[in-house]
Amino acid sequence: MITKKNIDIYIDKIPPAPQSLKETLDLLTHGELMKAAKVAQSDPALRTYLKNLVNKPVYGFKNEVSEISQIFGILGVAGSQQATYNYLLTLLSPDKWTLFKLNSTIFYELQARLSARYNIILKHLNIIDKDVQSAITLLPAAIIVAEALFNEKIEDVKLLKNTKALDYNTILKRLCKVDLFDISQQIAKKWEMPNKISQIIQVSSGIKPSTDKEINKLGKWIHLLLFHELSQPIFIEAGLNDFIDFQVEFVDDIYEEFLNIMGMEY
Amino acid sequence: MRAILKDGIAVFYPQGFLDGNSAKSLLSIEDIKATENLEAEMILVSLKRVIFFNKNGLEIFVKMLSKVRKANQAIVGFCDYDTKKFNSIIKFFEKELLFSLFNSYEAASLFASSFKDENKTVLIYCEDKSQRSIMAIELHNKGHNPIITQTKEEFEEKRKNDKAYDIIIENTHIGSMDGGNISARVTGNAIIYTLSTYLDADVTNNFNISYHNNSLKVGFRLFIFESYNVVSMNIHAVNFFSRLANSAAEYNATICFVGMQYEKTNIKFKETLEDSGIIFFDKLDDILEDKELLAELGASSVGNAKDKRSLNKALVSQLPKFIDATAETIKMMTNAEAKKESASIYTIKIQNTKDKIASSIGFYGDIDGMVVLIFPKNIAKKACELLIGEETNDEELIMDSLAEFVNIIGGKMKSLLADNDINIKITLPRTYSEVSELLKVADNRKGVQVDLTFDDDHFSFFLTR
Repeated sequence: MITKKNIDIYIDKIPPAPQSLKETLDLLTHGELMKAAKVAQSDPALRTYLKNLVNKPVYGFKNEVSEISQIFGILGVAGSQQATYNYLLTLLSPDKWTLFKLNSTIFYELQARLSARYNIILKHLNIIDKDVQSAITLLPAAIIVAEALFNEKIEDVKLLKNTKALDYNTILKRLCKVDLFDISQQIAKKWEMPNKISQIIQVSSGIKPSTDKEINKLGKWIHLLLFHELSQPIFIEAGLNDFIDFQVEFVDDIYEEFLNIMGMEY
Repeated sequence: MRAILKDGIAVFYPQGFLDGNSAKSLLSIEDIKATENLEAEMILVSLKRVIFFNKNGLEIFVKMLSKVRKANQAIVGFCDYDTKKFNSIIKFFEKELLFSLFNSYEAASLFASSFKDENKTVLIYCEDKSQRSIMAIELHNKGHNPIITQTKEEFEEKRKNDKAYDIIIENTHIGSMDGGNISARVTGNAIIYTLSTYLDADVTNNFNISYHNNSLKVGFRLFIFESYNVVSMNIHAVNFFSRLANSAAEYNATICFVGMQYEKTNIKFKETLEDSGIIFFDKLDDILEDKELLAELGASSVGNAKDKRSLNKALVSQLPKFIDATAETIKMMTNAEAKKESASIYTIKIQNTKDKIASSIGFYGDIDGMVVLIFPKNIAKKACELLIGEETNDEELIMDSLAEFVNIIGGKMKSLLADNDINIKITLPRTYSEVSELLKVADNRKGVQVDLTFDDDHFSFFLTR
C-alpha cells in the first residue's frame, strides 16, 4: 500500500521554508518583534493568514486586529513565533483534501483552536518558553502527512478499517516501520524548527513517552487536547476522530485538571 | 463512523469526548443503515477510548442503536469501561436501562452465539440478584461454567485467585437478549446455527437460506443447529428443516441438532426429522470433541459437491476484476507486486502443496461462484502481519487472520464489481491449513486457474462455480 520509498519521495518534495518566513522567525528568535513584523508585513499571504488566525473567536479579541505590527505586539514574541509556524504548516497542506473532509477554513480553525487552548494550558502550567509554545504548530503535520500518503488508497484503507480498528499511524508503522510523527519530525528538521518541538510532538502521539519529565508532561497535555478538539463535530465530520489512536491511560493523571481548565463537568 | 464486525459482534470505537454534539456526528443514519446490513447479533459501542461522556451523548447512541435492534433484533449496548464509567451510566439511566452493559468485549462475546470456545470458567458479581441469575442462565446455556458470587466480599476474595477463571464479569448489565434471527458461526469447518424460543413458519424468514446454500458451495459439509434454547417446534418448522436436509443430501452434507428438548415439542417431529437424515445429539461437545465423529459427519473430509456447475460467460468476463482484487489486496497488505505467470481453464492443479495454506470464499447475487486462494505460508504470514501487528508462528492466529485477510479480498471484489453495477454478497471465508483438504472440495471442479508470483513466491487463484 505505502512503502518507505513513497515516504522518502514525499519528504524530498517538501519545499524549504520561504525566505521571508525564515527571516521573520530569525528575528523573532532574537526578540526583534517590530523588525519581524515589518518582514511579515511584506508577505501578503502570511499577512492575510495571521489576520484571519488571530481574529477567530477562539483567540477572544474584542476588536478586529489588522496590522501585523499590532498582531505581533499583542501576541508577543512567543505567540508571534507560534502564529508564524502555524502559517508555515499551511504551506504543506494540500489544495484539495480527499482522505479527510477538510478545506483550508476548517484546517485553519483546527490550528487556531489547538494554539489558543494550548496557550491556556501553558499559562496554567506556568510555562514560558517560546519553543514549547510553538510545539503545538507541528501537531497538524501528522494529519497533512496522513492525507498525502493515504489519499490515493482511500478504498483500500476503508476495506482494512472495516475489518480491524486500525488507525493511520498503526497502518503506516506496520507497513514501513515509521509513523506519522516520525515523518513530522523529519519535516521539522527540514524546516530547522527547534529540536524541542519535535520531541514534544513525538510524545504527543501517545505511544512514545519520553524520559524527560517536562517533555513527557507537555506531550500528554497535547495528546488530550488533540482528542478534545477531534471530538468537535466539525472535525469528526472531517473524519479526524480516529486518525490516530487515543491513549486514554496515558492522559489519565491530567484528565481532571484538563476538565477544570476547559470548564467541563464530569 | 462504521462498526467493525467480528464473529457476529459489531463494535463502534468512538474516541475522546462523547456528548450530545459529538455523538450526533459520530453516528449518522448511513452508519446505522450500514450496521443493519451487517446482520450482527450484537452491536456495541466500546468506551475504551472515550475519556468523557454525558447522558446526552450516550442517549443519542442508544436511540440510534435501537433502530438496528428493531430491524435486526440485535442485542445492543456498551462495553469496555471501568467502574467509574459504569456507575455514571447506571446513574444516567437508572430506570430506563433497556440496553446491555459489558465490562469488556471479551465478557460481551461470551453472551454471543458466535463465541467460538465454549466451556469458559466465568466469575460473576452483580449487586442485582435477578441480573446475576440472568447472566448465569445465559452463560450456562451458551456452554460456559459460571461461578456466581453473592457478595462483593466473596467476589473480591475469589478474584484474588484470578488464574482460576478465564474471564471475570463485574459491572455488567444484561438488557433484553431475545435475538430473533438465527445467527451463524464457524467452528473449525462446521457451521453452527443457534436457534431459540418458538420455531414456527417464521423460521423461513429468520434463516438466511442464500448464506446457507453458498456455504454448501464453498465446501462446508457439517451444519449444526444448536437448540438448547428452543421451547417448542411446530409442523411448519419441521417441514422447513426436512427440506433443508434434502438439499444438504445433494452435497453429501450433514445436518445435526444438539440440545433439543421435547417437553413442549411433539417427539414424533424428531422421528420425521430423523427420516429426513437429520441426526440428533444431546450436547455440542458430543460432536466437536469427537474427532472421528467429526470426520464421519463431514467436518474434516469433504465429499465432492453434486453441484458442479460450469463456468459461464458472465463469470469469466469478470475474471480480471477478481484477479485485480486479489493482487491489489495482497499488494496493499505486503507491498509485494504480483506477476501473472499462467492462466488455464481446467480443474485445479497445485504442483507443490508443501508449506501452503488455502482459503475459499463464495459469492452470490448478480453472479455467483467461489474463489479459491492457495497461499505460500510466507505470503499469508506477511499479509497477516499488518492485521496482527507482529511476526508470529502461532498457526491458529495466522489461520484466524487469514480469514480476515480473505474477507478483505472479498470486500475488494465486491467493491470492484459494484463499480460495474454488478452486486454480490460474500460468504464467510473458509480456511484450510492443508491444501489436501481444499482439494477434496475443489478437485474435479472446472474453473479458471491463474498462477501468480509475489516476490518469487508462487500463489494460485482459482475461480469456479
